[in-house]
Amino acid sequence: MEAFLRYWMRWPSVEHLIYRYLWVWGVCQSLHFVGMALLIGTVGILDLRLLGMAKQFPVAAIKKLIPWGVFGFVLCLSTGVLFITGIYANINIHPYVVLTSDVFLQLKLLFVLLAGVNLLLFYVTGMSKAVDRLEAGEDAPPLAKIFAGASLGLWIAVMYFARLIPSGKFQP
Amino acid sequence: MTSQLESLEHTWLSTTLRDSPNVFLYPTILAFHTLGLAFFVGISSAVALRVLGAAPALPLAPFRKFYPVMWLGFAINAVSGVLLLVIEPTKFLTMVDFYVKLLAIAGAVLCNRLLYVRHFRTPAPIDPNPLPRRDRVLAVIILFFWAAAITAGRLTAYDDPHAQWQTAVGTAIVTAALLVGGFVGVRLWRAITRVGGPERPAPQPVDPRRAALSGSPQETR
Repeated sequence: MEAFLRYWMRWPSVEHLIYRYLWVWGVCQSLHFVGMALLIGTVGILDLRLLGMAKQFPVAAIKKLIPWGVFGFVLCLSTGVLFITGIYANINIHPYVVLTSDVFLQLKLLFVLLAGVNLLLFYVTGMSKAVDRLEAGEDAPPLAKIFAGASLGLWIAVMYFARLIPSGKFQP
Repeated sequence: MTSQLESLEHTWLSTTLRDSPNVFLYPTILAFHTLGLAFFVGISSAVALRVLGAAPALPLAPFRKFYPVMWLGFAINAVSGVLLLVIEPTKFLTMVDFYVKLLAIAGAVLCNRLLYVRHFRTPAPIDPNPLPRRDRVLAVIILFFWAAAITAGRLTAYDDPHAQWQTAVGTAIVTAALLVGGFVGVRLWRAITRVGGPERPAPQPVDPRRAALSGSPQETR
């Protein structure tokens, strides 16, 4: 299993792409940040509205901005996968080692996962549909506020731990 | 100039931050710089996207409530940015790219301010749809300045001007490709969904006898 993961994670073509072209890593970094801004700008606005800020917004109308947040997330996910599979080209440490030893990377990924679970629960519990009916000035149900607060907190945690990743200890 | 930079580098704040034994200090300042960016650039971009026609049912006026969050993000970034600058003043202040970043931020802030004055200080009761061309141009400029500021900010991590140039040009090309691809993709998607959507041929008038046989209440209407 480890051998398989070690092979797959150090996806040779990604690594060579980064070796060969000086700009690939930097371009992806910029796009990772652009994606982050789109995600926080749209999902963050929805979360803040559900928490009670700018209640004049009808919630269903804000949700029309969410596809931009999804696009931002896709940008982050695709460039993020490239960072992990191509990290050997950048720091000469195997991605398997980084993933299994960098606690900040693990925490970041854990919080991304939790944000996903939070979103899933938001849909499964019917809260997503319930808040769609909220017109201007109406208060969100308490459960929706919990989901919105969790979403904001989790994404902030994701960004915080992401910045700590280079300080993580790599133990080959 | 160099001696001034050196003296800045030897100030108490600079040496304390740089030589701190706490390995989390520097990344934490960086993290705050990132969080500020997310909220400042994120909300500003959402406003710009709305002005450009995304989510047209969303009233503009309530965005005013988010401006304090935006400016809080800006304040966090100004403070964390100054701290990051104080840690390595010579590196940043001798780098052309750093001034490009500052100019891009100044441009974005100025355009945001113009948009604010035009729409949010005295909001219109009903938003025109689409918004005036001048506002849409302003929104495009804001998004451009943010992309430029983020890219230039990322580039300060590289010491080699050659790598900076290559990355800047690469980012411009990839962004342009994404924009063109996205534009064409959305147009295509709309064209495809329209074929199966409202442009279907109008339903033929139903023969009342057949409708009675099929027993569907909708068809007898």
